[in-house]
Amino acid sequence: MSEPTGVIHDIGYRHYGGARLGRGHATAALLVHSLRGIFGLGRTARAKIVPFLIVGVMMLPAVVSIAIMALLKQPGMTYTSYGVTMQAVLAIFLAAQSPYIVAPDLRFRVLPLYLSRPVTLWDYVGAKLAAMIVAMFLLLAVPLTVLYVGELVIDLEGPPHTGGYLTSMAGAAVYAILLACLGVAIASFTPRRGLGVASVIAFYLLTSAVSTIVSATMDSVNNYTASGWALMINPFFLVDAAVQVGLFDAAPSAPVAYPDGTSVVLQLLIVAVLIALSVIALIMRYRKAAAR
Amino acid sequence: MNAVIAGISYRALLGRRRIWLLVLLPVVLIALAVLLRIVSGGSELITVEFMQKFALGAILPLLGLIAGTGVIAPEIDDGTIVHLLAKPISRPVIAQTKFLVAASMLALFAAVPTFVAAYLLINLESGIAYGFALGALVGGLAYAALFMLLGILTRHAVTIGIAYALIWEGVVGNFVPGARRFSIQQWAQTIADQVSSSSFLSSELTLGFAVTALLVVTVGAVVWAGQRLRSFSLTGDE
Repeated sequence: MSEPTGVIHDIGYRHYGGARLGRGHATAALLVHSLRGIFGLGRTARAKIVPFLIVGVMMLPAVVSIAIMALLKQPGMTYTSYGVTMQAVLAIFLAAQSPYIVAPDLRFRVLPLYLSRPVTLWDYVGAKLAAMIVAMFLLLAVPLTVLYVGELVIDLEGPPHTGGYLTSMAGAAVYAILLACLGVAIASFTPRRGLGVASVIAFYLLTSAVSTIVSATMDSVNNYTASGWALMINPFFLVDAAVQVGLFDAAPSAPVAYPDGTSVVLQLLIVAVLIALSVIALIMRYRKAAAR
Repeated sequence: MNAVIAGISYRALLGRRRIWLLVLLPVVLIALAVLLRIVSGGSELITVEFMQKFALGAILPLLGLIAGTGVIAPEIDDGTIVHLLAKPISRPVIAQTKFLVAASMLALFAAVPTFVAAYLLINLESGIAYGFALGALVGGLAYAALFMLLGILTRHAVTIGIAYALIWEGVVGNFVPGARRFSIQQWAQTIADQVSSSSFLSSELTLGFAVTALLVVTVGAVVWAGQRLRSFSLTGDE
């Protein structure tokens, strides 16, 4: 019996000698990658159609308002009503794109690969959520900003509506956080993209239709408190009432009156609870997915 | 019609998570009907509006989308459709079978709950319950065929279907009268109007147009889906 003679040959692979950037950079890279993917950048031409089309539709009211201001010298759309008016478009974008950022990783079970890097579960979920939040914010904030710049340039009589613009930006931030958390949480429950899209849109359609029907019914029997609260089932009216109207005194953009002023704290609390519940659901879902 | 394919499609639709969505939507419909009945006592006007806006306007397209794309899109997504297409079964028969599965699910989860909701609101008065149940049934057939075809044509079937149902039928249909001629929802309402004698329910389209359009869309979509499957090429996802 001879001695074992195995040797490890150096066949000339280069070692990585650069700096190890660590957890923060990995998370940031994941965020940027997801954000680009949401708008179809770095993906096929076919993946760009839906997001680009929706961005175009979101810009339409701003462009039309600027045209009205420039040609007819009349005030265009108010800033704070933008989100509520375009709620169907925002919901379609949320439904179409939030499954994209969660479904493939769940379906191909690559989560353990991510977690074998310095990235933790919270980093992963945080990066995905942040990407969707930034995307939703941009979708709403860019047309608003264009509209504001248009208003400044055209310079109608009277002071510019800077207050309305800033209020709507604060509203856009809360819209983005609430919608993104809800959308991504719902979408994460299925690894199938088609079903994810259907679930998120079903959530929007059900909440909006139920809130409209219940509030109209309560309104018809003169129960105005109940009709106002029924509107709060729709997340778009909830944010409008809690932030834009409640905190910043904007004009409400709903068909019936919101619940009166004392309920703002409660509405803000509901927003916070919804966000917290979504994040908890997401973390629990990913704990399970990472364990497989 | 092929029993094995039908069985597989039923299992795909009823298994796992899709079933929860299919059950949730009719449950909300019936729960809202009960609430309306308790609060407002179920007048004819409210019933008609509720059935038009909610049952036909929101629940039916959603269920059509889930069932219509659900019978075929997941298999294409997975690539398991290859095993099905490799069998010596006529492709049009595959399409027809899958359509029948989707249509039967819609009859069960859309037409029956629509009837129940209308019955709870107003009993059988003016034939509203029968009218909307029939409307939901034929509308469901058309949605099932159309969305199944979409599922074969594109991987973004659900998004496109939602945009059609929400933007075209919902928003554009409200402002542009011409768009209503090309809306499954309006055709279904026309059928409902024909059966029911309620004066609150009126439709702009003639019965002949609605029936022809429904037939053309349903049969055309199923035939096209079969043809499309005959020359189907499986492409990778991005």
